[in-house]
This record gives sequence, C-alpha cells and structure tokens, in this order.
Amino acid sequence: MMQILIILLVTIWAAGTCYRLYLLARFYQIEEYKSGRFIRWLFQSRQRYLPTRPAVAALLGVLFQLFFAEGGVFLPLVIGLIAGLTAIYPPAKSEVKKKFIPTARAKRLLVASCTIAVLVAFLLYLTASKLQHVSETITFGAITVGGAAIFLLAPFWLMIGNMLMTPVEAFLRRRFVNTARKVLEETRPMVIGITGSYGKTTTKSFVAHILNGRYKTYPTPKSYNTLMGICLAINRDLANDRSIEYFIAEMGAYIPGEIKQIAELTHPTQGILVEIGPQHLERFGSIENVAIAKYELISALPPDGVAYFNWDNPHVRTAYERGYPQTRIAVSRQIDLENTPANGPRFIASNVKETLEGLSFLVTDIETNETQEFFTPIHGLHNVTNLLLASAVAVHEGMALKEIARRVSTLQPAESRLAIQITQAGITIINDAYSANPVGAYSALNTLKLYEHGRRLLITPGMVELGELMESENRRLGEAAITAATDIILVGDQQTKAFQDGLRAAGFPVERWQVVETLSDAIGWYQCNLSAGDTVLFLNDLPDTYLH
Amino acid sequence: MSANRRQTLGVIFGGRSVEHDVSVVTGHQIMNACDPARYDIIPLYIDRDGRWFTGEPLRDLKSFEKDIPALPGVQNVVLSPDVRQHGLIINPLPTGLFAKSQSLRLDAVFPAVHGSHGEDGTLQGLFELTDIPYAGCGVMASAVANDKWICKQVLQQNGIPVVEGLLVHRRDWENDPDAIVTKILNAFNFPVFIKPDTLGSSIGIGRAEDEKLLRVYIDVATQLDRRVIIEKAITDCVEINCAVLGDNRTVRASVLEQPVSWEQFLTYEEKYLRGGEGMKSADRLIPAPLTPELTERIQQTACDAFKAIDGRGTARIDFLARPDEGVFYLNEINTMPGSLALYLWRETGMSAAQVIDKLLDLAREAQTEKRRSTYNYKTNLIALTASRGVKGLKGAKSARSNNSL
Repeated sequence: MMQILIILLVTIWAAGTCYRLYLLARFYQIEEYKSGRFIRWLFQSRQRYLPTRPAVAALLGVLFQLFFAEGGVFLPLVIGLIAGLTAIYPPAKSEVKKKFIPTARAKRLLVASCTIAVLVAFLLYLTASKLQHVSETITFGAITVGGAAIFLLAPFWLMIGNMLMTPVEAFLRRRFVNTARKVLEETRPMVIGITGSYGKTTTKSFVAHILNGRYKTYPTPKSYNTLMGICLAINRDLANDRSIEYFIAEMGAYIPGEIKQIAELTHPTQGILVEIGPQHLERFGSIENVAIAKYELISALPPDGVAYFNWDNPHVRTAYERGYPQTRIAVSRQIDLENTPANGPRFIASNVKETLEGLSFLVTDIETNETQEFFTPIHGLHNVTNLLLASAVAVHEGMALKEIARRVSTLQPAESRLAIQITQAGITIINDAYSANPVGAYSALNTLKLYEHGRRLLITPGMVELGELMESENRRLGEAAITAATDIILVGDQQTKAFQDGLRAAGFPVERWQVVETLSDAIGWYQCNLSAGDTVLFLNDLPDTYLH
Repeated sequence: MSANRRQTLGVIFGGRSVEHDVSVVTGHQIMNACDPARYDIIPLYIDRDGRWFTGEPLRDLKSFEKDIPALPGVQNVVLSPDVRQHGLIINPLPTGLFAKSQSLRLDAVFPAVHGSHGEDGTLQGLFELTDIPYAGCGVMASAVANDKWICKQVLQQNGIPVVEGLLVHRRDWENDPDAIVTKILNAFNFPVFIKPDTLGSSIGIGRAEDEKLLRVYIDVATQLDRRVIIEKAITDCVEINCAVLGDNRTVRASVLEQPVSWEQFLTYEEKYLRGGEGMKSADRLIPAPLTPELTERIQQTACDAFKAIDGRGTARIDFLARPDEGVFYLNEINTMPGSLALYLWRETGMSAAQVIDKLLDLAREAQTEKRRSTYNYKTNLIALTASRGVKGLKGAKSARSNNSL
C-alpha cells in the first residue's frame, strides 16, 4: 500500500517536471539551443528560475507534513498531494509571440531531458522506499522536498539533455551534410556560388532567370544561405532531380570559415562576389574581416574555375586583383567606357537610365567589343551591377548578349525588394522592406526621386547591424534622404537618432518629418494625409506584413 | 549544360524493326567515332523484342552473336519519361537481395535506330518527354519523312519534284481490289512500284510489269503496312543520293553519290551495308558523274526538302535522275540513314567525329529553342471546375464549340 502511495506522489512530480520541460523547450529553441544564452534569459527574472507558486507550495507542504502531521499516513499523504498538485499546476498561458516549432531536434531534446527527469524521479522513489521503514512522515516529507527539487531544476535537466544530445546532433548534422554531398555527386550539377554582404539573393535570382533561357537551373530558395539551409535545399529539391544543370547556391557568412565549409560541400566551379560592405559588422569586427570571409568562396574555386567580381566595390576589386583563379571576369557600371584600365572590367554598363518603367542601359563586352541595349522592368541602380554579374555568367556559359537582353526584359522584382504597386487609393507603394544596406538604400531613394508628381514619403527605421559605422552611415542616409523625399517618417526614436541628426544638419524643415514609435502609426499617417498620385517608399528592415 | 564540358552520351541502337542489324552497325560506328575526351558513351541496345539493355559488352560487336541478357555486365535499363530523371533507370525491377535500381543522368542521346519505332518519330517522342537533347530530326520531321504518302504531299506543296503516286488503304483493297486496280491502270502505265507506306527499308517493295504482278505485290505490301502507295516507275534513271546536315536556318549538302549496282532495285543488303567500315566503295561513284549544274540543283533541292519538313540534324535524301534530260525526282528522305551517311561527309571534308559534334550542337540548339517556349502556364481552371462541378464546365465548352460551327 505504502509503495503505491510513494509511486503516486513521485509520478505527480515527474509528470509536472516533464510538462515544465515542454514549456521551457520553446525558449531554449528561441535561444538557438545555446545554454549560455538560455541561462542569461533564465536569470533575467526570478519567476523564470524560481517560480513563486511551486516554491511556496513545496515549502509549506514540507513544513505542514513535518510539524503538523505527527505520524500516520493519511495527513502527510494528503498534504503531499495538495502541495504537489498546486506546485505542478501549469501557469496561466501568456501571449505567445514565437511558437514552439516541434522540429525533430526539439523532440529529441525533449525526450532526452524528460528521460533524465524520470530517472532522477526513480532515484527519489528508491530513496523513499528505503525511508519508509524509518518513518512515514519523513518519507512523505522527503518526497515533497525531492519532487520540488526535480521540478525546479527543470532548466538544468534541459541543459544536461542538450549536452548529452550534442554528439548525437553533431552526428545527425554530419549525416545530413553527407546525404547532401551524395545527392550532389549523383546529380552532378554545375555549382555557381554567390556571396557578398548584400545583393546575393537578387543576383542569384537574376542568374537563374537568365540561364533558364537555355539551361535548367535550381537556385537555393529564398535566402537559404547557411550550410544547413543549403543542405536542406539539396536534400529536399535537388535529390532525384537529375535534370538540373546549374545549382546556384547563395552562400552567407556570419562567422569566418562558414563559406569555406559550404564550398567544401558543394564544390563550386564558378563564384560571384557581389559586394563587400559594412554588414553584420558587430559579428565580424571590421570590413577587412568581412572581405576575408567572402574571399573564401574564391579560394575554394578550382584553378580552372571562373570568378566574377563587382569592380566598383573597392574591396571586391582588391579580391579581383589577387589574381586567382585564372579566369576572372569583372563588371562595372561606374567606369568610363572610353577609359577602361588594362586588366580591368570586361562588362561595362553605360548610359544607365532609370525611369518609372524600369532600368535601361548599354552593356559592352570589352573582349568582343560588342554592345547590346538592355531594358528591364526592375528598379534600383544597384541592380545594374547585379544584372552585369548575371550576364557575365551567362556569356561565359555560351549565351549571346542579345539572348541575355531578351531574358533580362522579362525579369520580375523579388518580393519586397523594390517591388512597386499602386493601392486602391492611387498611392504608389515602393516596397524595399527586405534590404537593409547602404547600396540598396541609395538606389531606392533614387527610385523614389523619379516620382516627380505629388508628395514623396519615406518611411524607414534607418539601417541596423552596421556596427561602429551605424551612426555615420545613418547620418549620411539622412542627408541623402532629403533630396529624394518631400516627407519623412522615422520609425523608432532611439535607433534613428543619427538619422535625425542628418536631417537637422541638412536643414530639412521640421514640419516635414516626424518620429513615430510603430510602423502602424506611420501607415495610419500616410493613409490620412496622402492622396492619389503620391508615393511612399518603405525602406529597410520593415516587416512586410503591414503593407497592403 | 554548356558544350565545353565532358558529356554523358547515350547511343541507342538495335530496335524493334526489320532494320535491327543495320542499326547495331550504325550505332557502333557512332560510338567508335565519338571523341572519348569529350563524351562518356553509354551504349543502349534495344533488342528485337523491344527490351532495353546497357553495359560495356554492348560496345563490342562480337557480343551480339551471344545471348545478350546473359552476358555479365549487361543490365536492363529504361529511359525514364520523368523529366526529373533526365536519363536512365538501370535495373528498374531489381530482383535478388542486393540488387538495386539506380538512375544515370544523360546529357544527350544519339538515336541510331532505323525504321519503325526509331526513325518514325516514336522514339523522338520519348526524348521530347524526357527533355533530353537528342541528335537528329524531331518528332514531326521524322514522322513525315517516314510516311511516303504524307511526305509526297508536303514536298509537292513546296514545289519539289516527286514521282506521281496513289494511296491504297488495306481495308479498301480487301473489300474491292478490282476497283483499285482499275483506278491504278487509269492513272499509270506499267511498270509501277508498289511500296508499303511507312516501312523504311526495301522490304515489301515490288516493281510490277503487269496486272497480275501488281495484285501480288499489293497483297504482299498490305501484309506489311496499313497503307500502300503505288508509284509510276521512272525508267532509265539512276539513283542519286545526297546527305544534308543542319536545321531549318542553315542546311548544307554533301557530295552526291551514285550507287552503280542499280539494276532492278536495291536489295536490302546493298542498300544498307555499303559504306560499312572496311567495305570498298566499288559499288558506288562519289561524286556522282553529273554536270556541275545538275549537281548543284539536286543539292539545292535536297536542302529545300529538308527545310520543308522542318528537318534538323541529318538525312540522306534519295533522288531518281535522268541526267541526260536534266530531270530528277525526290524519291525518299531517310532521317536516320544507314551509317549516318558518314562516308558521304568524309568525301565532303568532314570527319565522323565532326559530324557527330555538329549533330549534338544542333540538338542543344533545339533544346534551347524548346526552353524558350513556355509550357508551364498556371491557370485556375481546376479550382474553378472543382467549385462549379465538372458538368458545368462541359456545358461551357460545348457552348463554345457550337459557336464555332
């Protein structure tokens, strides 16, 4: 009889612990399974590491059990039950911003940490079984103390579970990468790698669109650009598809060595270096470190591979001038066609014009002396560079400039990258919410400038993740914005201080700009104050769900 | 994939047709002529029963005296119509404990199958489904050239001289042979040729000097084909052959040849085995002894005819000519000629390897053209039908067709 009662109480505590583990797993997932970050999160508030209700319930339970129930089974048992159930009763559900995603990894982690908790609970049961010969009161008291400890240590079980699973996860990740490697060996597409601080995704879609005119390509979807993202793309879409001739892989880097890893998996024979700039500077430290990380793609190419460079970016040009591999093709939209340097860019854009319809420019192939007119419904001057790079790849793969021009004329802007639409109220919306870099920002302002009739409103939170350059870049952007916009709304006071300084320094009239706290405020303002014929530019890092 | 990389090339030969053996020889000529530095050759053999095999032993002609499926290294294979396979499924129905099927990507295919199920557009149709570039004529050009009657109509329409002919359906012949004989006698004088409409080889072809033989030959020909054509015989003529290479933009003609053992008609072996490796050209004259003017006219006509059927790749075009009178008729277009007419190209200054490279270039060009057309066009028809019910849609469609009546 006593045995059953012990099991009942221990089970209550164990079950409560498992449920708490489940609740905690969501936050562990948000912190990317990093125990350090998780601990930081945990100790931000006492409620998290020492929740009041369970702690008080357990404490009172033990005190009552020890001091009020003198001997006997019934009273300690009831008190133990009440204390246990009160303690483990799940807290009220609060608002969930980011849901728990039951990935395979999260499930494995939960199983591991629950197993640990159950094993510890089993030890508690064994101890309690021994103690029952001493005294029933002490037995029940011990279960309450032990059970509460198991319950309160749930974050700890989670971290131990993660630690134990680390080799398993590493093994599974290796297996996933190996599967991807095998898929590539079987399907044997030609791999074109694309990297850069920004412009990767757009250039990737341009390369794919142009090459699709003659070949069959598979670009990595969306912005999948990490090793695991690329493996996922390969294992999901490339496997069993041997019709793909070109695999166009966008390679991102948050830490040095990442691109090298991706290249070791995919073995690109061609590489495109789009831009090197102040992106993710707080992680890299300096632009030089960014350049080193991006150059990993070029170093990974075979000696007979081909690399494409954006001559107009000084850091990329430096990479070009390092002389590897043998075949290097540079492009420029800034160089004077009459005055091209020896060993300079091969493809040059001239007569670049941006109109409301899109971009038009001439492309000259210095090597063949051929010139071709290009028109594309895409906006943003920086896209001329991206198009030149994509065209260079296509020419190298045997397409004629004329054929490329035909493909370019049917391009579509990627979602939220300078996409233009007109609302029912007749207001033109330029959506550049995804890009968050100086080059794209100036291009977008330039596009806004084209709308000469009506008011031109800029809505932006400024630029982020630029490290120490953030202040000067934002200030500069503020100064530039006044030439393009008639009205400006800044979203968020704190992060736009430098931008505001730029506006004040340039003497932009105070009544023409304002700072609001949320994007919906900004949208509310334009819906009230703008009318048909006016234009709004949403610039940089705004969640696009607000736009309609 | 762009052409400057090593390509995996499937060469298909054999086939479910009377020209099986010739095709095996042609296939080996092609495989041996390919530059191994540029092509990784995968032999694909279709046996007389229509089974597909691959494996190294198939590259040796001696293997074909043995039981092919039993040879070590020979495996069953199919060419998958699934676009994503882009090639072969080797060992598609694995039996045994460790047997596994595997797929192999092909960059291009080179069909060397003559006659039925090979030269008539059917194999080409499979290639179109696979989306793999393939050497030689497309579906329609192959089918048109293979059907003597349709080909005659198309060529006539384009002002190319052809021999007058009549079409006989097997069912009509079985119902009322006398009426058909009367019709033939009204149209032509003897001698006439009787030919099965779609058979590529000389099998079933007869030359009738009188009505009795005419009936016999039509009986024979209707055993072989559903349709039979009757052609006026061109007497005192020589056969002149011309190979062409190109597509509907540019076509180039080879030197002309004149087979000399022309007496009554080409026999089967003569037609295909001349020009085989190791055979001396004692049975043909290259170039054909014609005036430069007539030579040029025939070459030009060959090119025009190839364009008229929207040909691509190569063909050997056979003419019947009376050199003294300066007249000639186009007799037939072979879109997959025996030995690929490589002997004619050699005399024109192109090596076998060059011809093969050119044919594969043309194949890639055609694939590019195909890519330019949009096939994947999303509509909301299915969703619409699902919401309205299939019946509603049927009504809508018949209403439209009524309008057009």
